[in-house]
Amino acid sequence: MKARIKRLLAGLAALAVAALIWLPCLHFLFTRPVAQFRQEQGLSPKATQLAARHLQLWTDPALRQVELEKMRVSNAEWDFMGRGYLVWSLANMALRNPASQPLYLQTMDQIIDETLRLEQQEGMCFFLMPYAEDRPYVMQPAHSLFLDGEIALMLASRRVIEEKPEYRPLLTERVNAMTERFQKSRRMMLESYPDECWTFDHGVALDAMKMADYLDGTDHSALIHDWIAMAKRRLEDPKSGLLISTFTTDGTPLIGPEGSSIWMVAHSLQLLDEDFARDQYQRARKELGAITLGFGYAHEWPKSWPGQPDIDSGPIIPGFNISAGSSGMALIGASAFQDDKYLASLAATLDFAAFPSRTHGRLKYCASNQVGDAALLYAATLGPLWEKVKSGKKP
Amino acid sequence: MKKLLGNKPAIFQRAEFLSPKDLLQRAAAISAVFLLAHLAGLREYTAVLNGTIGSVKLGWNLSAFLAAIYIALYLVVVVLVPVLVLAAVILLVGRCFIHKKENPSAVSNLAR
Repeated sequence: MKARIKRLLAGLAALAVAALIWLPCLHFLFTRPVAQFRQEQGLSPKATQLAARHLQLWTDPALRQVELEKMRVSNAEWDFMGRGYLVWSLANMALRNPASQPLYLQTMDQIIDETLRLEQQEGMCFFLMPYAEDRPYVMQPAHSLFLDGEIALMLASRRVIEEKPEYRPLLTERVNAMTERFQKSRRMMLESYPDECWTFDHGVALDAMKMADYLDGTDHSALIHDWIAMAKRRLEDPKSGLLISTFTTDGTPLIGPEGSSIWMVAHSLQLLDEDFARDQYQRARKELGAITLGFGYAHEWPKSWPGQPDIDSGPIIPGFNISAGSSGMALIGASAFQDDKYLASLAATLDFAAFPSRTHGRLKYCASNQVGDAALLYAATLGPLWEKVKSGKKP
Repeated sequence: MKKLLGNKPAIFQRAEFLSPKDLLQRAAAISAVFLLAHLAGLREYTAVLNGTIGSVKLGWNLSAFLAAIYIALYLVVVVLVPVLVLAAVILLVGRCFIHKKENPSAVSNLAR
C-alpha cells in the first residue's frame, strides 16, 4: 500500500514537473522569425501561400461559392469585406512583386466588377446584415458608408497600381457623394446602418479620399483634418483614450472601443495622421494586447468599457478573455506599426490555434474563413500602398 | 496456441497506473484517436471558432460538435501528450537513479 501511494505520488510529481517544463516551451513549436509572416521587401512565404489560396478561389467559381455561402449564412458583410481585404492585399502585392502584376490586376478587376454588379443588381442590402432594413436611414437618400468607403478604396487601390480609365468616374462619383454627405452632416458622422456609424468605416472612407487626392489632384485635406479633430473631441473613450467603435448620427456612443475595429482603425489613420495613428495603436496594444507563454492575443474590450460578445468579436475564450476577431485584426496593427515582437507572437498563436491547412503550396486557416484569411493576407502584405500614396508622387 | 492468441503484445498489456508505461500508453492512445479525427477531416469544421458554419450541408449543431471533438483532441495532443511523454522519461530517469543508488548491479524492468 505504501509502495503504491509512493508510486502514485511520484507519477503526479513527474506530471507536474513535465508540465512546468513543457508549457513554457510549447510556443517554440510555433514561433517563427517574423519574416516568415511579413517582409520589408517582396512577399513572405506565408503571404505567398495565403495569396495562392485566394487566387484559386477567384479562378474556381464552385470553390468560391462554397466559401462565400458558408460566410453568408452568418454575415453577408464578410462576403463584402473579404473582397475589400483581398483587393487591398493584391495592390500591395503588385507593388512588392511587379512581375506578377498582370495576374493581380486581373483578379482585382474581376472582384471589383463582380462586387459593383452585385451591388447594382441586388441593392446595397445584399452586403449588409438584415437589420439594415429594419428602419430608414436618418440621412436620405440612404447610403452605407461601409459600402461606399470600401468600394472607393478598392477602386483607388487598383488605380494606384495602374490607371484604368473606366474606374476613374466610378471613384470620383463615390468620393463626391461621400464628401457631399460629410458636408451635410452636422457632426461629420455618416451611417453604415440606420443611425449607426462606425469609426472603422470612416477611416476607410477617408483613406479612399486621400487616395483620390493622390490620383486625381483633388484636395480633401480640410475635410480629413476636420474629421480627425472631431474624432479626438467626440469619439475618444475618456478612460482608455481609444476611439469608440460605433455611434449614432448625433454622436451618442453605441459600442465602446473594440479590438475587432481599433487595430484596423489605427492602420487606416496612418494615411491620415501618423501621430494620431501611432497613439491609437500604442493605446490599443496596452489596453488590449497580451502575450502569455510566448503566444500573442488580444482582448475585444478594454477594462474601462466591457462589452458583450457579438459577430465581430467572435467567441470569447474565458479566463484570458481572448477574442478571435480582435486577435486576428491585431496582426494588421502589429504589422502596420512594425511591432515585431507582438507580430511574431500573434503569428505563433495563429499557427497554434487557427489550424493551418496546406495543400499544393496553398494555405488556409481552418478556424478562419475567407474574410479572416484575406485580412491575414492584408496583414502580411500591407505597407507599400500607403507608402506610395504618402510619398505624394503621382503615377 | 494459447500463448499466441491469448497474450497481448507487451505494448497493449495494462500497466500500473501512472507508471512510465501507463503514461506512454495513454499518450499513444490519444495520438491515435487524434490521427483518426484528423484523417476524417474534422479539422475543416473548426471554422465555428469564428462564427462560420463548418458545413452548410451538416448544419450548425453537427458542425459545432465535430469541431469541439477535433479541438479537444488537438489541445490534448499538443499540450498533454508531450507532458505524458516527458513525465514518463522523468520517472524512468528517477527510477534508474534510485536503482543504481540502491543496487548498482540490479537489472530489472524499470518501465513497469
